[in-house]
Amino acid sequence: MKAAPTLDGRVRIDPESELDLIVLRSIIPDAQGNGEALAARLGTGMDPSASEDWEDFVKPDLEEQFNQQVLTVAGVLAEAKPGVPLFIGKEDSDSWYGALNQARLALHDQHGFDDEEELEEMSEERAAARIRSHFYQVLQGLLLDVLMFP
Amino acid sequence: MSESETLLQDSTALDQPWQVVVYDDPVNLQTYVTMVFMKVLGYGRPRAEELMLEVHQLGRSVVWTGGRERAELYTQQLQSHQLQTAMEKAGS
Repeated sequence: MKAAPTLDGRVRIDPESELDLIVLRSIIPDAQGNGEALAARLGTGMDPSASEDWEDFVKPDLEEQFNQQVLTVAGVLAEAKPGVPLFIGKEDSDSWYGALNQARLALHDQHGFDDEEELEEMSEERAAARIRSHFYQVLQGLLLDVLMFP
Repeated sequence: MSESETLLQDSTALDQPWQVVVYDDPVNLQTYVTMVFMKVLGYGRPRAEELMLEVHQLGRSVVWTGGRERAELYTQQLQSHQLQTAMEKAGS
């Protein structure tokens, strides 16, 4: 798989095989269903006098926004085929970045990665999760550099 | 308590400044946090980077202080960018 900026200012991802598509589509199960937990986490530490309004009015909107990010990416990946490039423009960059962030956060919560730990020392499942998390981070960096904060 | 004392207390509570506090987390990229501070809070890059480093090194940073309404808006906008953000009464 290749991912790179295009001359017209987008990010192009080239899934070259079914395996590449499996890796890309892993974003969805890694991120999906975490919108509610993420929204709750983001409001930790709110002053008690502000927390009731926040729970009632802000948290539901955050949940919906985070779930929508994953649905947007899922819609694109459902149509993806090996050998057919995917293009991400500025208008979709927040959804992609947000979904990737949710996936990385969920993986980190599940596996508690330690930067010092070598892949060879990990179980197969943990190593695969670490590799996916790193891949998502690289994609986020590309989105930031090309589309969001050039 | 007299009515005037009650009104004075309410007025004091409304005037009390609020702090918007951002906490460190294990996944957000430093460049992204800098970008969000610039976009949401309107800071220049040097100030945004300074606050980002404070979050990263100290675990939290007060990124804005002022009236409640604006603090609520900034808190919501920072959270919508997936930054763990809380509102606190200044000095609490």
